[in-house]
Amino acid sequence: MDYKSGVCNFCGTGCGNYLRISDGKITGVYSSRNHPVSKGRLCVRGWHIHEWLMTDQRISSPMIKVDGSFKNVTYEEAVNFMMEKLSPYMGSSAKAIGFLGAPRWSNENNYLFMKLARSVFKTNNITLDSESGHRGSLNVLSKVTGFPAMTGSLEQIEKTKFIMVIGSDLTRINPIIGSEIHKAQMAGTKVVTLGSRKTQMAKLSNLHLQCRPGTLKLTIALIAKVAIEKGYMDKNSASSMAGFNDFASSLAAINMAEAIGSTGISLDDIDSVAKELCGSESAMAFWSTGISGADEDTVSYIANLFLIAGKVGKENCGLNSITGLANLQGGYDMGVAPDLLTGFQSYSDGAVRSKFEKAWQVQLPAEVGNDVYQLLENKNKDLKVLFVAEHDEGIVKYEKEIANLDFVVYFGSYDNPFVNHADVVFPIAALIEDDGTYTNTERRVQISQKRIQAFNGVLSVRELFSMIAAKSGVKWSYNSSEDVFKEIASLTPSYSGLSYDKLINSTGIQWPCNSEYPNGCKSFLLKSGTALSFAKVSGTFPAVNVSEAFPFLLIPGRGEYFWHQNNIMKKSYIPKREYNATLLVYPKGFIEINSEDAKKLQVREHWTVKISSDKGSMNVSVKISEDVKPGTAYVPYFIKEMITDFLLGHSDKSDMGLDATIPVRIERV
Amino acid sequence: MYLIEKENVMKIAEELAKNYELFGPVVDKGTGQVFFDRVNDSSEISLSAEIPAIPPKHVVFPQIERIMKYKYDRSAKKAEIEAILDNRSKAIFGIRPCDLTGLIVLDRFFLGQEFVDEIYREHRKRMFIVSQNCIAPFKQCFCVCTDSGPFADEGYDLNLTLLGDYYLVEAGSDKGKELVQRLGLKSADPSYAEMKKKANDKSISLFESIATDNKAWISRVMNRITTGFIKEDVWEYIGKQCFECGACTFVCPTCSCFNVEDHNRFDGTTDRLRTWDSCSFEGYTKMAGDHNPRHPVEDRRNKRFFCKLSYSQSKKYLRPGCVGCGRCQWVCPGDIGLPNVVTYIRREITE
Ligand code: SF4
Ligand code: SF4
Ligand code: SF4
Repeated sequence: MDYKSGVCNFCGTGCGNYLRISDGKITGVYSSRNHPVSKGRLCVRGWHIHEWLMTDQRISSPMIKVDGSFKNVTYEEAVNFMMEKLSPYMGSSAKAIGFLGAPRWSNENNYLFMKLARSVFKTNNITLDSESGHRGSLNVLSKVTGFPAMTGSLEQIEKTKFIMVIGSDLTRINPIIGSEIHKAQMAGTKVVTLGSRKTQMAKLSNLHLQCRPGTLKLTIALIAKVAIEKGYMDKNSASSMAGFNDFASSLAAINMAEAIGSTGISLDDIDSVAKELCGSESAMAFWSTGISGADEDTVSYIANLFLIAGKVGKENCGLNSITGLANLQGGYDMGVAPDLLTGFQSYSDGAVRSKFEKAWQVQLPAEVGNDVYQLLENKNKDLKVLFVAEHDEGIVKYEKEIANLDFVVYFGSYDNPFVNHADVVFPIAALIEDDGTYTNTERRVQISQKRIQAFNGVLSVRELFSMIAAKSGVKWSYNSSEDVFKEIASLTPSYSGLSYDKLINSTGIQWPCNSEYPNGCKSFLLKSGTALSFAKVSGTFPAVNVSEAFPFLLIPGRGEYFWHQNNIMKKSYIPKREYNATLLVYPKGFIEINSEDAKKLQVREHWTVKISSDKGSMNVSVKISEDVKPGTAYVPYFIKEMITDFLLGHSDKSDMGLDATIPVRIERV
Repeated sequence: MYLIEKENVMKIAEELAKNYELFGPVVDKGTGQVFFDRVNDSSEISLSAEIPAIPPKHVVFPQIERIMKYKYDRSAKKAEIEAILDNRSKAIFGIRPCDLTGLIVLDRFFLGQEFVDEIYREHRKRMFIVSQNCIAPFKQCFCVCTDSGPFADEGYDLNLTLLGDYYLVEAGSDKGKELVQRLGLKSADPSYAEMKKKANDKSISLFESIATDNKAWISRVMNRITTGFIKEDVWEYIGKQCFECGACTFVCPTCSCFNVEDHNRFDGTTDRLRTWDSCSFEGYTKMAGDHNPRHPVEDRRNKRFFCKLSYSQSKKYLRPGCVGCGRCQWVCPGDIGLPNVVTYIRREITE
């Protein structure tokens, strides 16, 4: 039989699949009926993973840039070239070198990337690429529960009684999680969605709270406020937890009438959600992390609301941070962060650091590093060299700053726009050309086995990094990915009970898996002795004021269309066509406005309008939709040339996550 | 009619493996999922395995297939073109009646209309088909409602029915007869016809207790769909549940949408590929120019059900397009597999 089990490598859901391998080549994919997460389903991306895996748009040879153009060389030559160019930075490298990791790379590859940065190039400037919000969620979850990841389990969605989906359209970003929520709803679970646009997830819910753009965080705060003031809350435990008083008094400071007015949601709806959430036997919250996901402050409000409701650490409950990329959670688990080692162990902890020093037989710098994107954003003068792993976004952020660096190293399997920024390029083996484990959004560690030979004889990350380490006089002796995994397990308390043997014979195991949880841990349950505490909140809510000059609130929708600009989708056929289908109808991009506003502006479907803000303007087509309310507009972020330039001018807003809004004027042209 | 002992039935597969590439139901050891796929050895096949998750459709209509290869020589301004046809001889062993009916529907689509699809014909031409009747249904089956099982009546070279310790072997073609003779199977006396009929009746009677996942009383609904008397909001209720994944099409033994793409190879040649496609996709139905239907998702969704359940479409296939396998039900991220849609429409009729 030609079907071999595998794991989908696109989003963080981690659906199981079967890849069809005939005579050493990939010839198809099929869904896995007995997989606990996907249960026979895949989304449009997952159903076409074979198209991506069979692409010939690969990096086929190591390349070095000489006088501005690439030259094919051997691995040996490329490594020598790189080490020679880097020699001036080697001593003082801590500040000069940065590493950008890949949230789609396996745990093993991410671990080695982190180890290469720290033990060979002596830098802690390590950042996971394509990601802006997941870390914020991990910080909050770790602070509130001591559990640095999604606390619930996808398998328990069908059992929970109340679900709140905040912001994102899970039916698009993580469709199989969206499906699971939909099926729970059909079977009687109450589903409430919060957001300023009526997404498909919202249409499939029992109640959609369509708040005005920029007031999502405020809406969550109001639900918490009502839960306390109306006495719906879990009085037995929540009020005795650390931080309760601070949180309660910050809520008390909110003027109810005013706040209700700015959210545009009725007090009755807020009240009924607060009441049902608190009264329900179990409840789960879902929010997307990463690009266009919830920011740390919003996540704090979500977590605190669920503490108030008494829905943390109980059966079939969960604070569920949903990752949009296959191994975003795993990337953090592997310590691809300036201040973390594996398993969320703090780099600043001397005992932890010396454990790694002993295992790696090196001296590690004592100082934590900086976020690489922050360094680029601040045009930091010390940063001179960048190592980049598989940058699969179509858009390269900080293009100018990267061009100004002295030297850029690129490791990747697929041809993409970032390659041109590099001075040396190393091709590496892709998914299913090497064994590797991936950790999905609910901490499920799954193995994806080697099924085909590497393209054009390229090396695996393990082989290449060992070669680079050896050049710098450090001996790495791994014979397989399994050897790397053993080392990870030995240094990471939450992974210590995992092994390739266990993973090959399972559909994944959720960490922590160790002596305390020998079979893994489905969800975080409170035990006697563990204490929950409230997260600190800002108590401030962004003012979203429209003016006469800019009477519309524009929502820049990035998450939903994120996959459009993803470089790997462009290497498929059907998903590429599907993501481009909108472009066929709206080649210039579109702005969604309500029919009422269209009437006022005297524009029709497909007419061109000019959108202006205080920073710039752009022309796009009108799409009339009842999914947005009057006075608000929505622009998807996916056409590089058109909309992106306008939105990049507003990159300050991206820190606001879900509450990002831009006041604009819309005019007929 | 012939007989073969139950323990010897795989001899038929072994005999076929001598001259054919062999396909059959295989159980994956890891998860227990059943596939209908190529085997290296007949011992991999499990005749008693449940209805396979993937129908044998991919044997004649692969998920992705090279159909042509070309190379353009810029300097000489010449192109070399080579058609690629799969001329292997394939034997399908143990196909169930629903999937066999599916194959017949595909034949009518690819071979029975004005155009004959030669790529398909090439897959199909030398094929040997051994079907097996279902002496009991599985949870997801509703072939009794779609007139495609549980017993097969056409389209096979050999057809197997398990009757106690023996398989009853019926030959449906000269090729089939020839194989039976080669194997020297003994003939069955006429009483076996009666036994087979009883087994069929028994199987049908078991649907009520075993085939509990899906019930789809198709005929009333076909009428409704054909005449178009279905309320807009029913289609809307169905349409908003579609996640546009394409799965219902991919797993369906009778769906035949395809897409053609050129794949540029690393060595400078180009492969022309034919891939599975789906009517649920926006890009598949996208019309030229600015045409933007008002209810895009709903319109695409009801298209599928027209295709499966309307009289006009049935005329092409000489039967309904659905063969009652139940696969689209368990792969659908929404809750709109065909049997459920039939239920939603019936609910509206009774209301
Ligand atoms: S939901 Fe995510 S993991 Fe599942 S098939 Fe789709 S892209 Fe793959
Ligand atoms: S429509 Fe569904 S149940 Fe009917 S044949 Fe196709 S996959 Fe099977
Ligand atoms: S399987 Fe369901 S969700 Fe997917 S395309 Fe078909 S009807 Fe839509």
